[in-house]
Amino acid sequence: MKIIDSSPGSTSRRFILSGAIWFLAATAVGLLAATELVAPEIVKQKNLIFPRIRPIHVNTNVFGFLSMLLVGAVIYAVCRLCQAELWSERLGNWTMWLWNLAVVTGMISLSMGYTQSHEYAEYDWAIDVMIVVALLLLTYNLLQTLKRRKEQLLYVTNWYVVGALAATLVVYVIGNVMWKPANGALAGMTDAEWAWFYAHNIFGTWITPLSLGLCYFWIPRETDTPLYSHLLSMIGFWPYFAFYLQVGTHHLIEAPAPAWLKLIAEINSVALLIPVFAFLTNQWMTLRGNWWKIPDNIVLKFLFAGTVFYFLTSTEGSLLALPSVERITHFTDWVVGHSHLGLLGFSGFIACGAGYGALREMHGRIWSERLAHLQYWLMLVGIIGFTLVLDDAGSIQGHAWRNGEVVYRVLPELMQDYILRAILGCFIVTGAAIQVYNFYKTTCPQISPADERDARQSAEVAS
Amino acid sequence: MMTPRTVGLGIAIIAAATSFSVLFLPAMTAPTQPSEIFRARTNIENEGRVLYIRNGCIGCHTQYIRPSDWAFEPLRVSQAGDYIADSPHLLGSERTGPDLSQEGGLHPDDWQAAHFHDPRFVRPASIMPDFEFFSDDQLRELIAYVQSLGGTMADARVARQNYWKPALIAAYARGQDANAEFLYAHVPPQWATLPNPYPADANALAQGEFVYEQECINCHGPVGDGNGVAAPYLNPKPFDFTVLKRQPWSGGLLYYQIMNGITGSAMPYFKEDLESAKIWDVSNYIATQFIGTAPTLPKVPIPYQGAIPASREPKGNKQ
Repeated sequence: MKIIDSSPGSTSRRFILSGAIWFLAATAVGLLAATELVAPEIVKQKNLIFPRIRPIHVNTNVFGFLSMLLVGAVIYAVCRLCQAELWSERLGNWTMWLWNLAVVTGMISLSMGYTQSHEYAEYDWAIDVMIVVALLLLTYNLLQTLKRRKEQLLYVTNWYVVGALAATLVVYVIGNVMWKPANGALAGMTDAEWAWFYAHNIFGTWITPLSLGLCYFWIPRETDTPLYSHLLSMIGFWPYFAFYLQVGTHHLIEAPAPAWLKLIAEINSVALLIPVFAFLTNQWMTLRGNWWKIPDNIVLKFLFAGTVFYFLTSTEGSLLALPSVERITHFTDWVVGHSHLGLLGFSGFIACGAGYGALREMHGRIWSERLAHLQYWLMLVGIIGFTLVLDDAGSIQGHAWRNGEVVYRVLPELMQDYILRAILGCFIVTGAAIQVYNFYKTTCPQISPADERDARQSAEVAS
Repeated sequence: MMTPRTVGLGIAIIAAATSFSVLFLPAMTAPTQPSEIFRARTNIENEGRVLYIRNGCIGCHTQYIRPSDWAFEPLRVSQAGDYIADSPHLLGSERTGPDLSQEGGLHPDDWQAAHFHDPRFVRPASIMPDFEFFSDDQLRELIAYVQSLGGTMADARVARQNYWKPALIAAYARGQDANAEFLYAHVPPQWATLPNPYPADANALAQGEFVYEQECINCHGPVGDGNGVAAPYLNPKPFDFTVLKRQPWSGGLLYYQIMNGITGSAMPYFKEDLESAKIWDVSNYIATQFIGTAPTLPKVPIPYQGAIPASREPKGNKQ
């Protein structure tokens, strides 16, 4: 294996493979964390106790699994839409290694206790710098590719990619308070408001737009159907960014933040339903008449499930931002369930589907479609189960607290849900392991089981 | 017409405009006045705060009490002025463990040390990890930080713990019987002489056993002799119920101590954790299981010396 591979498609492929490996690593850490909640004394090693690996699970999923898999798939999509190769595969490879270095460094430093303590922004300053540099390199590379595009019309996927890169660079630098390397924080309630601006927008401007862009690319492509409406994609695009950037304070509804700021967050959280439903209508109307293609097409299957989870997590998110709902769900496992529904159900499914799609087109076929379908079902059972048990746990917590019970008294009531969560985690880790294996085998120049079957059948026919 | 330039510029304008409205405007108008409970942290408390951050305590513990919260003691809704020195903020988003914004002084340092060594020593159903790996210095720093949570309100509670601790240690050093008499003398007579109003029937004892195992067993021990797993960490040691076989006691005495705790010792109050009926049940359980004889009252009344949690407190203790 060449460290810097300048052959066409290598950047995209390597980003996708890295993402798959981080998916396995991050979910394995998550499974360990879930086990520790059931058996708190199972690990005595200080680097692996629950409070230290929780941020590892979160950050490796966001910056390792989702970011890298989505970026790999996005590079592939942008190149196809521009009818051009990536401007510089060498630069792309360097970006990929830098990004991987950031995630590895992040895992090690978090396990050693070097954390900035803001959720999703736990990485220390040096890692923040690596990620910003990698983002800048990626932006430059993609903009150069876009500049040399042969197809002049800029398709909606590319809007989302350019928009995501522009907004994320702003959000990442401001949200991590990168001009204060020592602790990356302001002081008091202002710090909390800025931190939640960042925490919500790392999804709102980075993970989600890339996922939406990939739906716009793959769903029409795999169904051989033109996009339902370009007007709807416009309605889905600009309001999406305009509303999303203002919702961060809905994490602080009952904290002593300014009332007007909370009001902005609540109104925009509900207003987000407009671009969400514009997007969903567009995708599902494109699928109209094509439903029969979904069960057998692994890419469509993952992407369609992703859009359904997007519907669920977005409507749930808008509801959770309402003060009357928040009073019960805030601080509970319901919110943990919500973030799993969004990151694994919505973005995760789309990232996996788009990864399979890109690799299938690059290599002609997936090594084993059967394993891919098995992975789909494992992940589906995992995420639906997760949502149910975490909503149950959150509901128990929220109502018990509202009923005047202390936190300690409620803990034993959550154990059945925590045990189920750990069991369901095994499904997801198994799915992730299958994906690593399947992706790797797909990229190896080897005969796949399907090839063998075909060869055997044609041999039988010939004889 | 959508080109990379229009999209990039458009999004950049949106990001700049929203950054002004939801970031810079609140930052410029943020309150800078400290609240009435605010005080600056000492060096050792700041060191402890670093440990709190590095070990990810924020993953399970919040540090703000909301207007809709109740069943908190003390119940004080957090204000922006409480946090002006917090950088980074540690408000938290997940309440798997209790809120810590008013944790300071709720327990004395020895309870905290036992709890960090193994949280289940003092909280049998806890799912918090062990922090045995802390050095003695680190443990001191983290305890100092935890005891500072709550500002001047915490300081008043810590002062009360420190005021009573020497007296309790001295009483324990005089022997088990003298200790029992000392504790008895600090319970208001109407409680100290009150019999348990509920019969110690099978249901009451079953419920009492459940509560004892959830809350009491690791200090007072499975046979009620005060030799639970946490005992080596605590000073004074947990109370030995079998002493009451030869000392005056009543159901009301047990109830009062469980309800209010014994300030200065590791015995916390359970007025928020347990409903009244459950406290009477666990009193019945302790009486039947560990004392075993009918309640006795002293022939010569012991003069009342003032309740430990409520009176004879040092200055500045009012919340």
